[in-house]
Amino acid sequence: MNKPKIYVGIDKDINGGMTSIGKIIRDAYVFDIIEDTQTCEGWNLAGIDSLLHKVNDRWDEYGCLASNLPKELSEKHFAIHDKAIKKAKEAGWSGEIETDDEE
Amino acid sequence: MAHIFNMALNILIKKGEVNMAKAYNAGVKEYRETYWMPDYTPKDTDILACFKITPQDGVPREEIAAAVAAESSTGTWTTVWTDLLTDLDYYKGRAYAMEDVPGDDTCFYAFIAYPIDLFEEGSVVNVMTSLVGNVFGFKALRALRLEDVRFPIAYVMTCNGPPQGIQLERDILNKYGRPMLGCTIKPKLGLSAKNYGRACYEGLRGGLDFTKDDENVTSQPFMRWRARFDFVMEAILKAEQETGERKGHYLNVTAATSDEMMKRAEYAKEIGAPIIMHDYITGGWTANTQLAQWCQDNGMLLHIHRAMHAVIDRNPHHGIHFRVLTKILRLSGGDHLHSGTVVGKLEGDRGATLGWIDIMRDSFIKEDRSRGIFFDQDWGAMPGVLPVASGGIHVWHMPALVNIFGDDSVLQFGGGTLGHPWGNAAGAAANRVAVEACVEARNMGKELEKEGKDILTKAAKHSPELAIAMETWKEIKFEFDTVDKIDVAHK
Repeated sequence: MNKPKIYVGIDKDINGGMTSIGKIIRDAYVFDIIEDTQTCEGWNLAGIDSLLHKVNDRWDEYGCLASNLPKELSEKHFAIHDKAIKKAKEAGWSGEIETDDEE
Repeated sequence: MAHIFNMALNILIKKGEVNMAKAYNAGVKEYRETYWMPDYTPKDTDILACFKITPQDGVPREEIAAAVAAESSTGTWTTVWTDLLTDLDYYKGRAYAMEDVPGDDTCFYAFIAYPIDLFEEGSVVNVMTSLVGNVFGFKALRALRLEDVRFPIAYVMTCNGPPQGIQLERDILNKYGRPMLGCTIKPKLGLSAKNYGRACYEGLRGGLDFTKDDENVTSQPFMRWRARFDFVMEAILKAEQETGERKGHYLNVTAATSDEMMKRAEYAKEIGAPIIMHDYITGGWTANTQLAQWCQDNGMLLHIHRAMHAVIDRNPHHGIHFRVLTKILRLSGGDHLHSGTVVGKLEGDRGATLGWIDIMRDSFIKEDRSRGIFFDQDWGAMPGVLPVASGGIHVWHMPALVNIFGDDSVLQFGGGTLGHPWGNAAGAAANRVAVEACVEARNMGKELEKEGKDILTKAAKHSPELAIAMETWKEIKFEFDTVDKIDVAHK
């Protein structure tokens, strides 16, 4: 049996946490699905996948767009993600990484 | 068979139409005696080709140009007495002109005319089998590149062309007056078809018109095609219901066999998908033409990817120029074709790219050497193909993209959508707001490339998604020079 893949935790993720899983976890903080101290370190992929579905269900209430969030949630969303973007940039992440390998 | 030929030959000899000595003395004369015809005036019905020829040292230009004409037409038929049974003078290719290549003494352009009857009607496969067949391995050549082909209207009319065309696509999708937006989907979490469908939904919900299968995704064990098609269709329907707009996803039907390709296309139609996708070079032109004709018959749109094109078109001295591959696709059939971006980081000289964008969309394209177009090309009433600008582009490129490509295009932001720090829907919304702002500004007479920053900044005041996108990508610059420039630029 293959060893289950374990997540390293958003605080130790590559690109300062600017990853697909990092975005899921931050949205989970926004919607209070998990505590904002929960890094998800040690979670397996099934756990992350389950979190993704919960986050998706919440986003569906707002058409997936932050601009549709009510004011309080919008401010919380902005604050959490703003901090994450700054941290990611400090860790060397930039938009260029996202557009590196495509036609 | 041999005795039939001998009987025919005897009859011709008796009738005095064949000289025996000539009949058995073939294969040693120089090509230019037969195939170099500088006084020839091309007919309106001829297929014309411009080759860039790099000969081996010491080979005269007339001889090598004639050899290319011969070896790409009837040359391989004519080394024995049978040339006397064939009307060689009618069917042969004729090298009728030569020109220097600006700034490059190692090569020259040769212009060759082929009679239309040399080729099967409606078969780009047959045309290209001759034009870029054995001749490319000819020893007297160091390198050979097919720069351009003029397909006469008489030949164009034998081909099916794009299944629906630009105007009908707009009518089907009810989308007018702006470029359409797309995004190639990368699996968000693992490769489950359900999560893949979710990523499509987010992009479409956020404002994209299309999402797209990555060209490498066909039907691997990690995500079989049927499951992907089902979950993606669910995403399309949900996004359509919530936005009130038509949406689509390029379901990749490229497969190992054309039977399998058609099976996947039939299923896409059965579940209500408006558009499917094919890789026309790796998948092959026979399969592509078959699929395009089926799409036309079944009201389906066809998106064309061009994997492998750079293997063929990137070397400035050898291969086939992309403008020729563009013409092949328009004849074979496709409603979208990846075109390069000019402003992105992938290869693409601006003038040349504008040239093949015209070839995709316009009904008549005039010879224009500044765009690398060697011949007038008349497409008659054949519908146009939407160019797809894709590769390394993001919101800051939007003003230039709208300016360069105009409305009849698909602007495809992959990483420029999915890489948005707030997620896929936010990336899609940012691009939608940006394109609408640019179109509105252009329609009010503003100069997009000069005033782009102001236009986007103003729009971002009402779109936090766009504001964050502008923060994310603002530092990026693409400064790589292109390898394959228009030849005049080499001067």
